[in-house]
Amino acid sequence: MKTIPVAFAVNGEPVEVSVEPRKTLADTLREDLGLVGTKLGCEHGACGACNVLLDGHAVRSCLLLGVQAEGAAIETVEGLGRDGELTRLQRAFRDHHALQCGFCTPGFLISVTEYLRDVDAPSEEEIREALSGNLCRCTGYQGIVEAVSSLLGEEEAP
Amino acid sequence: MTRGTLPGIGEVARGKWVGTRVTRLEDPRVLLGDARYVADLTLPRMLHVAFVRSIHPHARIVGIDASEAVAADGVRAVVTGADLDAHPLEDTAVHPTLPKTPQPALASDRVLWAGEAVAAVVAASAHAAEDAAERVRVDYEPLQPVHDIDSALAQGAPVLHGHLGSNVLITDRRSSGDVEEAFAEASRIFERRTHTNRLSAAPLETRGCLVDFERSSGHMTVWSSTQTPDLLRWTLASVLDHPHHRIRAVAPDVGGGFGPKMSTYPEEVVVAALARRLGRPVRWIEDRRESLLTLNHSKEQVIDLEIAVRSDGRMLGMRARYFSDSGAYSFNSATALIEPQLAAGLMPGLYDVQAYEYELTAVMTNKTPIGPYRGVGWTSGHTARELLLDEIARELDLDPAELRRLNMIRADMLPYRSATGLEYDSGSYEESLARALDEADYEGFRREQARGRDEGRHLGVGISPYVEPTAFGTEIGEQSGYPYSSHDNATVTVDPAGKVRIAVGVCSQGQGHSTTFAQLVGDALGVRVDDVEVVAGDTERAPFGLGTYASRGAVIGGGALALAAGDVRTKLLRVAAEMLEASPADLEIEDSRVAVRGSPEAALGLEDVAGAAYLDPAVRIDGEEPLLSSTRFYDPRATFSNGCFVAIVEVDLDTGGVTLRRFTAVEDCGTVLNPMIVEGQVRGAVAQGVGAALLEHLVYDDEAQLITTTFSDYLLPTASDVPSISVAHIETPSPVTVGGIKGMGESGLLASPAAIVNAVLDAIGPHDPAKVELPLTPERVLRLAGRI
Repeated sequence: MKTIPVAFAVNGEPVEVSVEPRKTLADTLREDLGLVGTKLGCEHGACGACNVLLDGHAVRSCLLLGVQAEGAAIETVEGLGRDGELTRLQRAFRDHHALQCGFCTPGFLISVTEYLRDVDAPSEEEIREALSGNLCRCTGYQGIVEAVSSLLGEEEAP
Repeated sequence: MTRGTLPGIGEVARGKWVGTRVTRLEDPRVLLGDARYVADLTLPRMLHVAFVRSIHPHARIVGIDASEAVAADGVRAVVTGADLDAHPLEDTAVHPTLPKTPQPALASDRVLWAGEAVAAVVAASAHAAEDAAERVRVDYEPLQPVHDIDSALAQGAPVLHGHLGSNVLITDRRSSGDVEEAFAEASRIFERRTHTNRLSAAPLETRGCLVDFERSSGHMTVWSSTQTPDLLRWTLASVLDHPHHRIRAVAPDVGGGFGPKMSTYPEEVVVAALARRLGRPVRWIEDRRESLLTLNHSKEQVIDLEIAVRSDGRMLGMRARYFSDSGAYSFNSATALIEPQLAAGLMPGLYDVQAYEYELTAVMTNKTPIGPYRGVGWTSGHTARELLLDEIARELDLDPAELRRLNMIRADMLPYRSATGLEYDSGSYEESLARALDEADYEGFRREQARGRDEGRHLGVGISPYVEPTAFGTEIGEQSGYPYSSHDNATVTVDPAGKVRIAVGVCSQGQGHSTTFAQLVGDALGVRVDDVEVVAGDTERAPFGLGTYASRGAVIGGGALALAAGDVRTKLLRVAAEMLEASPADLEIEDSRVAVRGSPEAALGLEDVAGAAYLDPAVRIDGEEPLLSSTRFYDPRATFSNGCFVAIVEVDLDTGGVTLRRFTAVEDCGTVLNPMIVEGQVRGAVAQGVGAALLEHLVYDDEAQLITTTFSDYLLPTASDVPSISVAHIETPSPVTVGGIKGMGESGLLASPAAIVNAVLDAIGPHDPAKVELPLTPERVLRLAGRI
């Protein structure tokens, strides 16, 4: 099948790939760029495991095509840490036992990265509402809610 | 550090690590995106598989035409049942009267459920394989399906497995105590039929496997999202007629298991057969629709329960009938029988009822096979009993907490042999109930509930005390009606540099074994947890083991590790004593330093002691082996956790919506290795119980077609559906296990649906209990409340 060249940036690095027009952004990241940290849990936009930041906004990479990334700045879980060190957000997830099997974790980290940037002083109910676009089957969500709460109102970037 | 202070057979040292909230050693690699699940693994020249699945629940296969698919772009092969080199899968349960229902990896003559694989396409990419799979023409002659228990048992019903003569796989009866007399003496007999909903464990990572085959040696490596690598290896060797020692099975990072990843599935057999045939790596990754259709389904039963009760609420006896909707095959490694049998075995629960009889019937239907999911059988039985207990309390005008307390096994009755032969070793039944009521402010809630009623608010409470069989060793298998040898093995090795490597047969699907096991061995050997490397999930690197299921990891894996670490410690101390000219009894190890107690200046680094043990013959006694390693086996006695849940809900009788206000858990799993991880297990399982009570349901239509095949139809709870869950701990160490450890992985799902459903019914107020259908969706809530 015919492929189309696409150029965009991933985690600050410019990339060029040539993909079938039907190929999802998730498959493009995983198969063509080897960025397998982004997970596929449902491939129909329900679970959020495949969330990535596209120009700063959390999007379902299973519901976008690779060709739609043309010119965009994408961030994936691999781009969150710095030189193998955990960020404050990642440390908060560890400290609050916000993960077990870890399959949903990259998607949550991406969603929460955007949420913490935009939010002021949400209630627990609002935090839960904000997290409800991502499914976790292991933790019961409490650790994730606590991790997010622990980072609110802090000046430094998560 | 104190040693041997905990009761039990064998010791668990409790120093810096055991019992503390050590954050997980496995977290950084997950958080940084370094974890590798099977879909993340690729090999050179790897091919991809897509399955052609039956669209009919029951049909004869007249013919399969794959010519168009074979000719499609990128396709390397199409395989059907007729040309697959594999024997059918059979369940491996050791049970004297359980018939087999051999399951071909690819159906060749007939299909028994919609979703059963009939052909596999191998192609250069997953896309090409899926495209070509649509071009495989299967000519079916549809047959009448049976879509539920009633239609399967009806006179003249089509029979799925001719050799059974009917759709009944097995029936079993058991009676204990004088049931006739109990029912004759009773002032009231209560009964209810409970139909528990069909569930999917739905781990976020679907199934999948990658198989590499080396033609020169015949060596096969199987990476699979499995809970049981050694059983997978064994089963594949058997159905593929492949030498067992030429198969290596690896569970890489696994994204949740919860039970269904115990079994060996047809797809694993097909992918392995294809890799062997083609001499190339072959991978298959299940998609979500396939997963909801083919990952084993769970927990659907119809339970008729009668309880004979004295006028004061004391239960005198129980009678029950269990019918499980088992699907098309009695699945390998976990059979159609376990769901009703485990429900039946635990029906008396933590109540003192010795007169009990039951009959169970495992029924075959044209549906996805049923198999394990966290709390197999126990969830359904517990839910049936606890719903009836609330009905009894209402009818007798008793407080539901008091009714439960009145019937509970008292502390002075432990150890206690249940009517079904389960030997409860220890527990805190009354204390857990009292503590849970206290933590939930039960009295205060009742006042709030009464005030709310005056204001038009509908609040309710559900109380669910439980006992949880754990640590599936041989003894508890026997007590549960499944006699099989269920042990596990662990190796502890201190290397010449003084670092520790442990290898266990119980692998992880996210539970945090690398942390809890490192804690346990860290205290046993006096080293830091990050000096302990944990190896598991690889048949080449870890000792043989049965894998992870039935809350066996901490008890069996932990117990075997404690025993092995004890051996290595003894040897280390003997060597160090030689070097320090002291007695081993006077030595202690802390922070990787061996010191004479009270004289810290007389100390050696663990690396010095280990190095000498390996390389200095002078410290060795005659005939002693230099290796600082021990492999120990452990097959624990039966041990039982317990606890109590209290759910408080508010129901909106305009919308039927249920809000969980508070959820209180008190759990007692004996010696706690890591309270943070225990709490995570409880909360995660309770969240699954929220789904079971209110949201999740695999719905079939009358034609036996599954109509809930996406996460938009099969609803997992989100962060907004799950409340904050408080967890309090009571520690009643087991007197019969190493270190007093009990398992605890399943209680959350065993007992929370009952708490939540009872809370909703309490909030609704007067209703017809015969009309309670699970899950309690908004529409059903409104019907029960008489609003629609």
